[in-house]
Amino acid sequence: MIPLVHKLADFWRETIKTLKLIARNKMGFVGFILLLLLILMSFVGPLIVQPEVRADITQIYKPPSWAHPLGTDFQGRENWIMLVHGGAEVIEVAFLAGVMTTIIAVIVGAFSAFLGGKADELIMTVTDVWLALPRGILLIVTAYFVSLQDVWALALFLSVFGWPSLARQVRSQFLSLKKREYVEAAQLLNLGTPHILFREMLPNMMSYILIALIESMTGAIYSQTYLVFLGLVPFGNNWGVLFSLAYAKNAIYNTNAMSSLLVPMGGIVLLQLSLIMFSRSLEEIFNPRLRTGV
Amino acid sequence: MSKPEKKKSLSARILKSYALQTLIKKFFIVWVVVTVSFLIVRGLPGNPVDIMVINLMDTQGISEDEARTRAASLLRLDLDAPLYIQYFDFLGNLVKGDLGDSYVMARGKPVTEIVFQRLPWTLFSVGTSLLISFTLGMFLGIVAAYRRNSLLDQVLSNLSAMIGAVPNTLWAIILVLLLGVVWKVVPLNLMRGSVSPGIKPGLNITFIWDVLKHWFVPGIVYVLTTLGGWMLAMRSSTVSVLGEDYVTVARARGLPDFRIITAYVGRNASLPLVTALAISIGFLLGGSTVIELIFVYQGVGFLMSQAIAKRDYPVMQGILLVTTITVIISTAIADLLYGWLDPRIRIRGEQE
Amino acid sequence: MSADTLTIRNLTIEYQAKRGAVQAVRGIDLDVRRSEALALIGESGSGKTTIGLGIVRLLVSTAKITSGELIFRRFGIGGQVEKEFDVLKLSPRELRAFRWKDCAMVFQAALNAFNPVLRISAQFGDTARAHRYLHGEALRKRAYELFDLVRLDPERVWNAYPHELSGGMRQRVLIALGLLLDPPMLILDEPTTALDILTQRNIMDVLKDLREKLRFSLVFISHDLSLAAELADRIATVYAGRVVELGNVYDTFQNPQHPYTIGLINAVPTLTTHRDKVSSIPGSPPDLIDLPSGCKFHPRCPLAIEKCKLEEPELVPTSGPEHLAACWRWQEAKQILMPSAAEAELRNAKQER
Repeated sequence: MIPLVHKLADFWRETIKTLKLIARNKMGFVGFILLLLLILMSFVGPLIVQPEVRADITQIYKPPSWAHPLGTDFQGRENWIMLVHGGAEVIEVAFLAGVMTTIIAVIVGAFSAFLGGKADELIMTVTDVWLALPRGILLIVTAYFVSLQDVWALALFLSVFGWPSLARQVRSQFLSLKKREYVEAAQLLNLGTPHILFREMLPNMMSYILIALIESMTGAIYSQTYLVFLGLVPFGNNWGVLFSLAYAKNAIYNTNAMSSLLVPMGGIVLLQLSLIMFSRSLEEIFNPRLRTGV
Repeated sequence: MSKPEKKKSLSARILKSYALQTLIKKFFIVWVVVTVSFLIVRGLPGNPVDIMVINLMDTQGISEDEARTRAASLLRLDLDAPLYIQYFDFLGNLVKGDLGDSYVMARGKPVTEIVFQRLPWTLFSVGTSLLISFTLGMFLGIVAAYRRNSLLDQVLSNLSAMIGAVPNTLWAIILVLLLGVVWKVVPLNLMRGSVSPGIKPGLNITFIWDVLKHWFVPGIVYVLTTLGGWMLAMRSSTVSVLGEDYVTVARARGLPDFRIITAYVGRNASLPLVTALAISIGFLLGGSTVIELIFVYQGVGFLMSQAIAKRDYPVMQGILLVTTITVIISTAIADLLYGWLDPRIRIRGEQE
Repeated sequence: MSADTLTIRNLTIEYQAKRGAVQAVRGIDLDVRRSEALALIGESGSGKTTIGLGIVRLLVSTAKITSGELIFRRFGIGGQVEKEFDVLKLSPRELRAFRWKDCAMVFQAALNAFNPVLRISAQFGDTARAHRYLHGEALRKRAYELFDLVRLDPERVWNAYPHELSGGMRQRVLIALGLLLDPPMLILDEPTTALDILTQRNIMDVLKDLREKLRFSLVFISHDLSLAAELADRIATVYAGRVVELGNVYDTFQNPQHPYTIGLINAVPTLTTHRDKVSSIPGSPPDLIDLPSGCKFHPRCPLAIEKCKLEEPELVPTSGPEHLAACWRWQEAKQILMPSAAEAELRNAKQER
């Protein structure tokens, strides 16, 4: 019982310390808070706010006002309610795709760096081939044929296309770490490859991996936005679908309808920006060279 | 002292040539994509051939057999032959430059013809934008590196990251909205199409000016999506070059700043970025599908978006193969360029 | 009217670090005479490299020269002063002209001293053009002369790229480049540290040769006392940003007066040193942000007394006007710390009689 309390107290202290560090970089702090708010809105919000299912034709395309805080869409539904409900899928896909991409990239990169020699060359050649393809177009063509029915499928799909560039970066990080003395020491002690990888090197890479995770997430959001816009992702009621629908209904040319286009777009943009701001502050924290002052 | 190396036999030198190795690698990549493309047609669920057959049956009211024959002829494949024979047929057709015929959008027209008619437009718009983005990004990157950690640098770096993170789809819509609807600074018809109707193509000023005007807003979108990346890459490359001994020695030699920035820092810092140029082209070509759709720009991207909507598989496959080959060629050019620019590679390749 | 090429007075250089100001150079006075070779000896972090960088004002942006003057004099054929100026007061344009033409600083690790994408000929061309010197065929001929001086094959080197040359070759090319504009003063910072022993020997021979032929002033920065002894006319030992001993090379070796200098001499084993008697100076260099009180060497000094902890000794003439030391106990230092040497001297002196 007592050790558990100690562990919790430690964890709490660490969290406060990290939060303070994040707060040092104003932009990163803003990003962090924004991200938190978006996550709250998207996951807790729907529990509080009922989804709008009825279409009210009399309320079509009302511009923002007190009665309709963010305006209404082409079916008379409240935009702000659509906003609250639309984020969850986007964030889920981003997070899952980010995690999967990072895991694949880390495994491939780490083993490639560690095994070296022919194995390394082979893995890197495969990675290079994958990198050299016009992935955007390949993504589109393949999405056409593969049925992407749910969040997991889309996330997996995105990560299959996203891991190569990250794997390269991970590999070079591992290579530079590999040259450090404590790795040599561990090797001399015959501690075995998995041990060296996971107990010695990985902890030093955690910060880097965290930043890589966030970058993968932004990449996933980027890709899913245009896949949805092209109609290749046939599910969901998320921000991507909402703005694509609004666009298809020519909301761009209709000043009243514009809010139904801008609200979901705003959601996506805010999500991306918050992730970027947060990751830049992480970079500053974990990479001392970036910190101001010698 | 003797000359650096003895003359090796001609065949040995060819084999070790960096240029040749590059070319071989590229061929390999093309082969991979071609094979994957073939497997997608015949292997994945949601088999496009079957879809085509059903479609043909529905739209043209023909029997299944007829539909299959029609599909086979459109795809230039013998649907009943064993898979590997189909594969070789496929490869053979490719080498002959035959990609089948479109079966929806332009009944019976060869895909090659359709794609190659649109390709120059996309290459023009993407290429010009890339050039601008790369040059501007390089310049900003050097500035940021020289003034690193200053306010200017922080603003530039953060802006770059944020601008690049916004999806290209959204940028395109935002620009149309702002420039065309809200501020009304760009007439809406300039944001549709690649050329105004009625203008005769040719090497005259009217035509060229019109083309440029239509390229302008989509071009801004392309630049926005890539500028930040170039700037950040150049910045980090320059920062590491600035730490090199030869820069300090250059200053100790009393060389003027301009010479140091261009020939000593600039040249060395931009080397790693050359290889990224080709990847950028791939990235922009992918984005062109959406951007040309929004701007109704008559390029390969727009063609692709229509092919998706109309389920015209031969066209989709054709675009995939053509863009892949384009990207591979540019990668090869970029790699060769890099080898030529960096004497360390050039000479090492020959000496080994 | 001084006949020295460089007069340094009260030079103080500080770096800004997070913890505080790093006092790298603390009020140094030095003279470099015409055609003389002065060696600056010390451990890493002693400030010797900073002095060199300070002379050509190539310090990092976080460093500041907070006080001092660096009077440089250029002499004409007849020996009269042609130009005299304070380096610290030069404008950026004058500074660029000064660098390499009046004073050339050749760094250690010449392995990366050249732009990898330009041929050696182009880099010589850059330097010549920056100082409006020769070009074309005339430049090439001049370069070939210099390559001969440093014992390089000109054909091999002129059109080559830097990475095609070995480390030792690159170092010699850099020296040749340093001599291109015929500077009256050369600063060499650890010119042989990164090289293997045979190449080191080569370069040392080349340097000795050059000094004889060209008679430039040389500031030789190193941690290697034996190398310095070969080349130098005078030796200055630098510790914690100050000169602690300065004297003629023979005097300094035969009658060292500062415990640090003695420590350095003792630390170089001879062929016959018994392995138990190989010594080094205990402890480590001081923290330049938070220096100890009094004499900065006292924490590591075997002769330290109370006075050493309280007052920092000035560099003053000791056994003669040309030999200076900054130690309260300079008279006894050699006696106590190098008894065998003192005995050997007595024996030699007796034998000579």
